[in-house]
This record gives sequence, C-alpha cells and structure tokens, in this order.
Amino acid sequence: MSMIGGAIDWLQATPLSTTIRESDLLFPTIECVHVIAFVVVVGTISVVDLRLMGLASKTRPADELIEELLPITWIAFAVAAAAGLLLFCSKPITYTQNFFFLGKMLLLVLAAANMGVFHLVVQKSLATAPIGPPPLTARASGAISLALWITIVAFGRWIGFTTLG
Amino acid sequence: MLEAFAAWIGKTPLSAFVAGQDWVMPAIQTTHILAIAVLVAGALLLQLRVLGVIEKRHPIGPLAARFVKPSAAAIAVLALTGLLMIVGEPDRALFRYVFWVKMALVAAAIVVSALMLRGLSATPAWTDAGVAPPLLYRGLAGALLVVWVAIIIAGRWIGYAEGWPGSPT
Repeated sequence: MSMIGGAIDWLQATPLSTTIRESDLLFPTIECVHVIAFVVVVGTISVVDLRLMGLASKTRPADELIEELLPITWIAFAVAAAAGLLLFCSKPITYTQNFFFLGKMLLLVLAAANMGVFHLVVQKSLATAPIGPPPLTARASGAISLALWITIVAFGRWIGFTTLG
Repeated sequence: MLEAFAAWIGKTPLSAFVAGQDWVMPAIQTTHILAIAVLVAGALLLQLRVLGVIEKRHPIGPLAARFVKPSAAAIAVLALTGLLMIVGEPDRALFRYVFWVKMALVAAAIVVSALMLRGLSATPAWTDAGVAPPLLYRGLAGALLVVWVAIIIAGRWIGYAEGWPGSPT
C-alpha cells in the first residue's frame, strides 16, 4: 500500500499534474472532452443493451447492430479513458481517497466483466435467434450493462460534487 | 426583469428543496447527462448514416424512426431537469452568456434536424439503402454533429463561466 501511496504522491508532484491542477482552463477543457466521449459510449451501449433486452431496434438482428456500433463505442471509450486519466492526474491523492471515484473504477471493472461474459458466452446464443425475443441470458446481459452504465455516470457526477476545493 | 425572475424563483419552496439537499443537484445533473447520451447517440448514428459512414446497407427512414420517440422523450427530460437546475441555482445559469448561447444552439439543432428529416422523407430516392443524400444534407449532418459537440461544451462551461457585468452572481 505504501508503494501505491508513494506512486500517488509522485504523480501529484509531476509537472503534468501540477499544470492541469493550476490551470483555470485545462481541467474544464479536458472535462468537456471526457463528457462528449462518454456520452457517446453510454448512448451507443444503451442502444445495444435495449436491443438485447428486446425493448428497441427489434427489427434489426442484435449481432448486426453490435458489429455496426461497437467500433464507435470503442473509439469513444479510448478518448473518454484518456481524458479521464488526465483528470485523475490533476489530483490523484484526492481521487484515490474519494468513495465515488473508487466505486466508479470498480463499476467499470464489473461492466468490463459483464461485457466479457457476453462476448464469450452469451453472444453465441444470439446466432440462433437473430430477430425476435432475445434469449434470457441476452436480456440479463443487456439489463446488467444498462444498470451499470447508469450507475457509472451517476458516480462520475458525484465525484465532482465530493472533491470540490 | 431577468433579475426579478431569478430572485422570485430562488425564493420558491422548490428552489429550497433542490438547493437544500446534497443529493438532489447531482441526481438532476446525472439524469440530464443520461438524457444527453440518449439524444446524442441518436443524432450521431443518424448523421453518420446521412454522411454515409455507417449503416449504408440500410435505408434512412427506419433508422430515423427508431430514434424519434427516445429523442423526444430525452428532450422533455432535458428541459425538465434543465429547468430544475435553474430553479435550484437561478444565478448560476441565467446571467451567463454561455447559457444563452447554449439555448440558441439547442433551438437551432432541433429546428434544423426536424427540417432535415422532413426534406429527406419527401424524397425517398435520397434515403434508400446504399444511397447517400445530396451534398446539402451531408453538409447539414456534419454541421449538426459540430453543433451537438458545441452544445455539450457550452453546457459544461455554464458551471465554470462568470456572470456578465453587473449580474447578481
């Protein structure tokens, strides 16, 4: 733990961290990039989730929808993660002591695990049911993903309210 | 007049409720952001299709139809949560130029999107599978994507901007 603590202290003392922290413009600008990117991440994921739950885009096979949207999701996720990392670098000591930041990171890991299970196990069952009511496993994947991403957005917003000053 | 309105709305019980609890404002903002995700995802996919980047094998009509109801619902949620934010902190938005710039951009984006969809649906040959609409429509699609990005930036900037000279902030 002290090694991690040491790394956090070191990061906070780097010129990158100091520059973002002490600039009036950098943090909000990076935050805008973060928001624009994760809005696309959450928006495109929810289109797929609602299709998996059988609630929207019912005329389109889920596989085809995933193939079309996933590249957009990944590009946006890469941008959101890079911007998020820069935001983290500005005040790493504060963030690593913040409940909502740590919770958000855990929720992101859970969302990744849910996605892994979906691609490795659940997606195969879709091939037999391209259109129509999705199998229960697919509906569960979609519902879990949607719930996690909504909570991730909420935790993210709460970070801003609990790390002021 | 705007100052009198802000002062009045700031004295309402609803304002006291929104501003009084720690959890209310972040909950409203979270809902606002989730509605932006719904609206922007629909706009992004539709405009990328008009530009011919995605969904080229499919006609535009059914794609647009899929997003009409969620977009309308998202706009309603955005208006409601936006109003609640103003009620809770009237001085924060109303006296900042960037807020009014955002409102003008939102109005423009909604009107142009509606006109664009109407123009497209009037000429089915432009919206068929494998077809890209005329240059005017592709230009509008690109412009709308830029405007949505500007709207998000303006929205985030409301929280950082200062009020105009002489305003009660």
